[in-house]
Amino acid sequence: MTQTAKAAKKTTSAKASAAKEAKVKATAEEKAVTEVKKPAAKKKSALAFPFTAIVGQEEMKLSLILNIIDPRIGGVLVMGHRGTGKSTTVRALAEVLPLIPRVKGDIYNRTVEQYIEMEAAGKGAPAIKPEDVKTEMIPVPVVDLPLGATEDRVCGTIDIEKALTSGVKAFEPGLLAQSNRGFLYIDEVNLLDDHLVDVLLDVAASGKNVVEREGISIRHPARFVLVGSGNPEEGELRPQLLDRFGLHARIITINDVAKRVQIVKLRREYDEDPEAFMKKVSREQQKLQKKIVAAQQLLPQVTMDDAVLTDIAKLCMNLGIDGHRGELTITRTAHAYAAWEGDKEVTMKHVREIAGLCLRHRLRKDPLETVDAGEKIDRELAKVLGEAEAAA
Amino acid sequence: MIAFTDIVGMDLAKQALMLLAVDPSLGGVVIPSTVGSGKSTLARAFADILPEGTPFVELPLNVTEDRLIGGVDLEATLASGQRVVQHGVLSKAHKGVLYVDSLSLLDSSAVSHIMDAMSRGAVIVEREGLSEVHPADFMLVGTYDPSDGEVRMGLLDRIGIIVPFTPVNDYRARKQIVNIVMGTRDEEDTQDELRMLRGLIDAAREQLHKVSMTNEQIKGLIQTAISLGVEGNRVDIFAIRAAIANAALSQRTEVDDEDLKLAMKLVLVPRATRMPEREPNPEEMAQDEPPPQEEQPQDEAEDQNAPPDETDSNAEEEQEETPDMIEELMMDAVETELPDNILNISLASKKKAKSGSRGEALNNKRGRFVRSQPGEIKSGKVALIPTLISAAPWQASRKAEQAKKGIKSTAALIIGKEDVKIKRFRDKSGTLFIFMVDASGSMALNRMRQAKGAVASLLQNAYVHRDQVSLISFRGKQAQVLLPPSQSVDRAKRELDVLPTGGGTPLASALLTGWETAKQARTKGITQIMFVMITDGRGNIPLGAAYDPNATKAPKEELEKEVEALALSIQADGIASIVVDTQMNYLSRGEAPKLAQKLGGRYFYLPNAKAEQIVEAALS
Repeated sequence: MTQTAKAAKKTTSAKASAAKEAKVKATAEEKAVTEVKKPAAKKKSALAFPFTAIVGQEEMKLSLILNIIDPRIGGVLVMGHRGTGKSTTVRALAEVLPLIPRVKGDIYNRTVEQYIEMEAAGKGAPAIKPEDVKTEMIPVPVVDLPLGATEDRVCGTIDIEKALTSGVKAFEPGLLAQSNRGFLYIDEVNLLDDHLVDVLLDVAASGKNVVEREGISIRHPARFVLVGSGNPEEGELRPQLLDRFGLHARIITINDVAKRVQIVKLRREYDEDPEAFMKKVSREQQKLQKKIVAAQQLLPQVTMDDAVLTDIAKLCMNLGIDGHRGELTITRTAHAYAAWEGDKEVTMKHVREIAGLCLRHRLRKDPLETVDAGEKIDRELAKVLGEAEAAA
Repeated sequence: MIAFTDIVGMDLAKQALMLLAVDPSLGGVVIPSTVGSGKSTLARAFADILPEGTPFVELPLNVTEDRLIGGVDLEATLASGQRVVQHGVLSKAHKGVLYVDSLSLLDSSAVSHIMDAMSRGAVIVEREGLSEVHPADFMLVGTYDPSDGEVRMGLLDRIGIIVPFTPVNDYRARKQIVNIVMGTRDEEDTQDELRMLRGLIDAAREQLHKVSMTNEQIKGLIQTAISLGVEGNRVDIFAIRAAIANAALSQRTEVDDEDLKLAMKLVLVPRATRMPEREPNPEEMAQDEPPPQEEQPQDEAEDQNAPPDETDSNAEEEQEETPDMIEELMMDAVETELPDNILNISLASKKKAKSGSRGEALNNKRGRFVRSQPGEIKSGKVALIPTLISAAPWQASRKAEQAKKGIKSTAALIIGKEDVKIKRFRDKSGTLFIFMVDASGSMALNRMRQAKGAVASLLQNAYVHRDQVSLISFRGKQAQVLLPPSQSVDRAKRELDVLPTGGGTPLASALLTGWETAKQARTKGITQIMFVMITDGRGNIPLGAAYDPNATKAPKEELEKEVEALALSIQADGIASIVVDTQMNYLSRGEAPKLAQKLGGRYFYLPNAKAEQIVEAALS
């Protein structure tokens, strides 16, 4: 190939990112040299197969919904067979997520409070009044972290073009900034490079992303719901990362012929004319979104009796689960589940439905164990419930 | 260059490629075949039957992440002062064909990226300050020799058609292939034929949307998939698309039995995890590799290669058929048209590695450069270009700072510690532990349970360290690979659970199988390999028993000679070993320590050695 032909094949992204550029106030001390730039080239999201048209796989769908209702649950790990709609379901999520308010144009999706707290932290910076900050409503962001991502794109780095052309050190936020207050999705999470896993663990624990380099010092909130999916046969997850996930949903091949026929039919209909299909299901989609919002609003009113908490603690103890993350996750998830069901009080009935999701991955791993983790949890649950009933 | 129409034999593979040309949403075609069968010639000739101008990109096996996904073009970026993006191989194949020869030898990270691109129809580039989406909606055509190892199931799952594996042993077929290669065809004839074929495919594309399929037919395919224990639901769509494409190719508007049979043969059967007549068993369903069996000659190969009948459809009758009847009909087809050892010719097929295959050519490489990552100069090889890329943007500001400080620098480039990127090779991903578990009759006496316990703790440890494990059992006539190298402790656990015991001890076969597994792993960049042998060390079956049923008896000296020769070669190959002796004291004649000595490895006596000690030794 000739040199010119080669050059013609290459595209420059200069135009696109220049157009997107918008200056945002940086923290006071770096203002002189550091500018912060909007994320480059916004991705045009192609139509995704709608959430409400996904047949079966209730466990995964419920886990995702509960995480929308209460992001503090800590995300969900979806593991299971190939070709069962794992990534389709996660990618469908974006369409049913509710809107959240953020400071207008803020690349970190900050709330007004977060914004003021951070921006006013610099010495001598003038106080910012909440009423002076403009806000906008945006859909909860869903950010895809591809396996081949490099660390600088995940955490953010210097804006290369700016640096090359004008020598200005501008910070270009990474995927962690984009995913603040949203979802961060990693397909094939069990194959993610170890050094990226380290970065994620660090940020997930602190809720902050810190980039320090040659006069650039950026610290921004990065709280996201971590969603991972994969096939356990391709590899295992590092235990530390496994532990980070609030819920663990399992997904298996559907062997019900009628359901499979329905899946095939819906899929073919969608492939034939995606837009018409989306229109057809838009009502269902809106209904789901409304139900999620209603549950979110109900959540603060949901209460739980101490007796239920005792039972949860007993369950975790009997199962030999280390630490308290198990209890904490069950409690939060049960609250969210009660809200989803429209109930104002958490009972063991709610706990029973979500205990497997919360604990499955926290049981001690014994490669020779023949009993399925789910069965073990059910058995212990029955014991605890039996005791509770006998006591009452 | 041999044209598509000039290739004789491999009719099923040709049919598969034609279906893909008609409906690219089938995702791709995988052709497993032995060396010299003309599979790669056929795959390259695929371009002949595609519309003109369709991209056809061949993926080099040693591709780096940069080249695969795309990234910053340093040269052009520095020259223009603007960031110039270079598209990766995946996006260059957009709307065309990505061809991979020796698919099973492809690096696992490359496989992951291909899978990801196929699932999105695009490549997401989040690298080196770039954040872009490049469309990458391609058909994947892959060929491979099953003796080089298997293709990852996750990838196969996204590829619609898998041509059943038929080893070319047939003398006549080979001769025909040779004739073609020698080229006796008239160029003009060839061009005419190609034109006709392209016309046929164009017409079929037009026809595609007009083809209808009954509910019963759809149900029939789905039931067949379930009966065959195919994992996942994605195959349903592929099977339907294949049937429809075949109907369109025959210019029909209704799917008939032949279409269904072909769809089954090309989409469902190669993914079968069990024989249809067996009762569904959830444990089996998740298994994608049934135990290998002895190879058998395939007399039926020719029948199977016969192209489907293009006679009129018997559509009216079909309307009356219930899905069960269709399924039965198709099951009949499976049984009559395919050899008895269906699981053997499917992807599960395992063959002895041949020397001189492509896998061996790559053997001497010490891992493969895959990507660069931040690091210190001392900690590895510096990746020069990524280092320059990361230093480039800082040049202006660094020079300004130096000028401010009054430092006059003559350096053209100022490179800081933080810019340094080091190369990352695949083999840094850990060690491959090949567990060889003696499951012979004598083990029943020798604490099989404890042996399993020791394996279990080693597995658990491997899991923590992200090492790979492979499981080989040996009993009866020969050793078997129960689990090819993987990171899945789950699967190892399952295999171990159901490990049957009994029969003789084919120790030499175990060593050979382990060595072959190790060699294959080396071609994929794994350099650290350790054998963990759990055995009493008393081999009593010679290597030949695997091929000759009468050769089960051999003099002791001969057995020892076999084991010794293999052990020495394994040691010379730089493979570390541990022998865990399970023999009861009063039975021991010291065979296991001897084996350890021959392998140059460490010896443990199980009742005394705690699992943790073994783990420690294995990792040190």
